[in-house]
Order: sequence, then structure tokens, then C-alpha cells
Amino acid sequence: MNLERVVFGFFIILALALNLGFVAGAIDNPSHHSPWLLFAALIVGLITSGLKLGDRSELGALVLAASLVANMLLMVAVSIWAISEGGMDHAAPEFMVTIVALAYGALAANCVSVLVLVADTLMARR
Amino acid sequence: MSSATSDLDRVTAIVLQLMRGPILVLLSVYAIGITGMALMPGAEVDGQPTRMNLFHAFYFFTYTATTTGFGEIPYAFSDQQRLWATICLYTGVVAWLYAISSIIRLALHPELLKAIAERRFARSVQAIDEPFFVLCGFGDMGSLLARGLSDHMIRASIIDADTERIKALRLRDYRVMMPGLCADASIPRHLLDAGVQHPQCRAIVVLTGSDEVNLKIAVMTRFLNPNLRIICRDTDASHRELLATVGEVTLISPFEIFAQQLDAAIYTPVLRAWEDWLVGDERVDLRDPLRPPRGNWVLCGYGRMGQALHEILRAHSGEFSIIDIEMRVDEVTDRRIRGHVDTGTLTDAGFADAVGLVAGTSNDEENLRILLSARAINPAAFLVVRQNHHENELAFSAANANLIMQPSLVLARHILLFHLLPSLGELLRHLHTDGLDRVRQLAEDSRKRIGKGPPLLWTETLEQLPCVLPGCRYESAGVRTGDLLRDPSNRKRLLDVLALVVTRDGERIMLPREDVKLQVGDTILFCGTRRARQLLGATIRNPYTLHYLTTGEQPPRAWFFQWLYRHMAARRASASHDDANVSTAGGVRSGGR
Repeated sequence: MNLERVVFGFFIILALALNLGFVAGAIDNPSHHSPWLLFAALIVGLITSGLKLGDRSELGALVLAASLVANMLLMVAVSIWAISEGGMDHAAPEFMVTIVALAYGALAANCVSVLVLVADTLMARR
Repeated sequence: MSSATSDLDRVTAIVLQLMRGPILVLLSVYAIGITGMALMPGAEVDGQPTRMNLFHAFYFFTYTATTTGFGEIPYAFSDQQRLWATICLYTGVVAWLYAISSIIRLALHPELLKAIAERRFARSVQAIDEPFFVLCGFGDMGSLLARGLSDHMIRASIIDADTERIKALRLRDYRVMMPGLCADASIPRHLLDAGVQHPQCRAIVVLTGSDEVNLKIAVMTRFLNPNLRIICRDTDASHRELLATVGEVTLISPFEIFAQQLDAAIYTPVLRAWEDWLVGDERVDLRDPLRPPRGNWVLCGYGRMGQALHEILRAHSGEFSIIDIEMRVDEVTDRRIRGHVDTGTLTDAGFADAVGLVAGTSNDEENLRILLSARAINPAAFLVVRQNHHENELAFSAANANLIMQPSLVLARHILLFHLLPSLGELLRHLHTDGLDRVRQLAEDSRKRIGKGPPLLWTETLEQLPCVLPGCRYESAGVRTGDLLRDPSNRKRLLDVLALVVTRDGERIMLPREDVKLQVGDTILFCGTRRARQLLGATIRNPYTLHYLTTGEQPPRAWFFQWLYRHMAARRASASHDDANVSTAGGVRSGGR
């Protein structure tokens, strides 16, 4: 067992799980989407990127790229929510749709990271 | 590159030349038709005759000349217009038919097709970015050589003057792309197209059926690229002298090579078997190699093959009896018999007591017949037969000879072994001269690790050393040959691969032991399975895997974890320091008790 794999795997899978938790529900219903989950997903995503800095292997670079994409999308989603009419508490449905759509994009990127991680682990097989 | 542009010029020139007529005819017919149509007075509107403008006239002419015919638009035509429209129709359609037939003729024009083929060939050769060979002549020998090259993933550009052979080349399922051109290889332009000046071109192999052409190719190549290795099929003595004046031409004769191989099979059978195993001979059994007996031999046929065998085997073996129909009368002795090979002459030659026989005439039926007579007289004798034509394969494999000698196969395999990978050639020479004691072990390892051939042979250059990571404990360990041979998914297992030669600054380490330290820039010749090649290729380029293979530990990859591991190591070090203090103290106390 490899400490790096455990720690990194923990964060990347947590980021995916939080992201999924945020997007679950009707896409335009603000009461289905908690700003806290979005915030947590963004923070965990940032930690994941930070943990991957310095890895010079090809697969490491791919994971880093995917997690950067996820972070970027989540950050845009948070920014839109912050400037939207009604603020964080009562976002209008049309803004909610954009925010959740961006979070779906981040979900896709996080899925790629996890898949690459699993593939890397299976290839090493030690 | 100059050759490619000149081809392009030729293509354009041919197109322009052939299309000039039709284009001129079309232009003039269009010009006259359109002008006339615009001048003809049309239907009267408000008392004034309308006329077509030039664009409408062009539109009308276009659909008329191409026989589409949309009708009379925008108004029904006047009689004058209809008259002119009739003229337009006939001239326009005829002009178009003429143009189309010219285009078809152009597309089938042999000169143009040839120019396009040459251009395509030159471009695909230019695009090669790995070492390759130029192969002139794609007969039996050339195609066997190409097959062997493809087995080892080495590319070649091929020129042959025979259209059918180049067509056959296109249908082969080679593992690598082999561009082929049907052309006379002795013309310098074609040699340039084939890449004799290409920086990655390693050698030119000249195997055409004609001595004249071979000589011409050698001379032209020498002028085009003075440093290129030329490997040429050996011919008769006069041509050999002419080729010698070209300088630095490697001549190879299938008969001399075979004689040396037979000699090697008698005296160093395991090494000979290993060589055959390397080039993928499926009949080889490394545990029980073919062992031709020592003693008296009978040579049937004293042509080039018989003479070469006599010359080389005489040094080691026992007595030789020779039977040949064209033996001169004054040469006939007890052991040199003139006549057909039959029961009588074989008995005269003492075949009943001989250990082996070589049926080496240039006639396949004759050789097969000799085999039959020989079996009848001495069933235990070792029979070597020469197969001149590849298409007789089935008859020869049914003939139950101990060893079949195909000149083309012998030559192709010899080139593969000794000339394509220089380090392999040197290894084999080394083994033949002073490495014989290591051959048995090598053959044993090959059989156990790789098994049935053909093994892949390839070279890798070590571009980086594993410990590129800061704070790594094994910074000074370095890579040893044995480390590269480990399985990247479990370093306790070994890949199915052998390291044969390490080349460092032009010096060779033959059959390196597992603990030979490698340096950046070393080139290693490997022999192994396809899977091993893939894994090893990935390993050698991945510093993390290399690190795991050399040390067994998995290094932290990212900066944060490198910092964390260092930190933990420091804590552990100071803790063990404290432990040491405590234990000494405890020791003192327990001692006090």
C-alpha cells in the first residue's frame, strides 16, 4: 500500500462524491442544490490539484489537467451564483440552471480523474 | 527533396501538355457560343426585341453544352435564338465529349501514373523517421529479407524493375510500411527517391538478378552517398573484382555462407541452432540442435556450392568424394568421379561408408533424385540438399532430408543476423571466436525465457537515470542491466527478455551480466517477446518505474508528498536516534540488575 495513493485517492473520490451530491435534484430548483456542497466540492477539488503538483508521469499530468478543469468550472459556477439576482439564498431558476450545468461539467472532469487513477493503479498491480 | 520537386514538375508538365488542346477548344467554343447567343434578338416585349445578357448566355450555354437542358428561359426563344441554340448544342456537346475523353486518357496515361507513383514513393521515403534500408530487387531473396525486416519492425524502401513483384509487395501484410517502386534501380534518380541520401538510411542491399545491374547500382550509390554501406549479392570472380574497385562493398555469397554454417553446425551446433532460432526458424530445437556428423562426405555437384563447401569443410572434416558430370577428364581421381549421380557412381564414391551427402546441383529435380538414390544405398547418412527455387518448397519438405539449403533464405537470414543490427553481428562474431563457453547458457536462457521464436530484436538507449527525485534514499544506486529486465508490475519477476550487448561510446560489452552498471547514453540490444518489448520500452522512459525497478520502493511523485516523506523520514531518523539512547540506557540498567 502506498500512502500517496491513499491520500490522493481519498481527495479525488471525495471531490467526485461532493460534486455528485451537489448536482443531484431538479436542475432549476434552488432548494435542491446546497451552496455548502458546491463550496465543499470546490475546496476539495483545489486540494486535489495541489496534491498532484510536481508529478512528472503522463498519467499524473492527465489527472492534474482534469482536476484543473473541474476547479475552473466550479469557480465559474460559484461566481455566477454570487452575482446572480437574489444572491446565494434565493437564486432565480434560470441562474440555477447555468450553475448546475457548470457543476455537471465539473462532474465529468472529476469522473475522468477517478478513471485515470483507477487505470494507473490497475496497471501498477503491485 | 530535389527529386520530389522534379517529380511534381513532371506531373504538372504532363497534365498541361495533354490538357492544352481540350482546354483551348472548350474556351473558343464557349466564347463563340456565348457571344452569338447574346447577339441574337429574342422575343418582343413592348415592341422591343429582348436580348440575353452575357451572364444569361453563359448560363444557357453551360446547361446546353453539358446536355442538361433546362428549356427556353427567361422567355420562349425567337427563331434566330433557336437557330443559334442548335449550333451551340452541337458544338458545345462535341467540345465537352472531347474534353472528357482527354481527361480520361490523361488519368490512364502510363507516364503520368509512373510520375505519380514515383512522387508518392519519394514522399513516403522522405517521411521515414527511423533507421531503414534500401532494398534493390524483390525476388525470392528480397521478399524473404523484407519479411525478416518486418518481423523485427525495421522498415525498407524497395525498388524492383518487375511490375508484378511490386504489385505483390503491396499485398503483403508487413508489420511496418514498406514503400515500393517499380523502376530501374540503377538510375540515380530512383536511388535518390529510395533514400540513399536520407540521413536515417543505414545501408543499401543490392539483390537484383543481374550482375550488370548490381554493379551499376553499387557505383551510382557510391557516388550519391560515399558513406553508405553497400551490401551486394556475390557473383562471379570478374564482377567481384569490378565491385572491389567501387570500394567498401560487402559481398555476400549464399554458398560460402552456407558452407560456413554447415561447418559451424558440425563443430558448434548449439551456436548454429541459436542463430537459426534468432531469425525465427521454427524447426530449431535449442535443447537438441542439428548435429551433422564428422567423417567422410560425398559432394554431388561441384559448382559454386560444391566448391565453397569443399574449400571450407576441408579444413576440419575428413575426406571428400566429389561426383560431377562436368568434371574435366584430367581431374578424375579415386575421389573425383565424372558422371551422373546414380547407384553406380555413389558406390564408387564410397557412399556406403560415408557419413553424409550434399546434393548441391543447380537443378532441383536432380537434387531430389539424388536424395532418393542416396537413401537407398545408405539410409543412415546425413543428407543435405540444395533447393534452388522457392516454389518447390512442398516437394523438398516432403523429401525428408536432414538439412535443406535455400540460397535465398540463407542469404536473407545472414543479412539479418550480421548486417542489419551491427551490435548483433559483433556479438555473433565474438561468440564464434572466443565466446563458445557462454553459448550453452545463452541457448538455455533463450529457450526458458522466450521459447519458440521468432524473438524480437531491438535496441534501446538509456536516456535518463532513475533517481531524478529530490530526497531519494537510493540516489547513488544507478541502474544495472538486471534492473531493466524486471517486470514493472512486480520486480521479483523477470520479463521474457535477454540483454545481449551493451554499447557505450563505441565499445561493446557482450552478454552483459546482471550487475553491469548502465550509464546515460548506453545503447542496449535486447532479444525478447513482443510483450516484453512494450513493457521494457515503457519502463525505460518512465523515471518512476525505473526507480521502482532499481530500488523496490515507490517514490512519492508530487511535491507535497515528497515533502511529507522527507519530513516523516527525518522524524523516524530522530526517533530511532532516541530509541538507540533509550535502549543503551535500558541495557545499562538491565546489566545493573
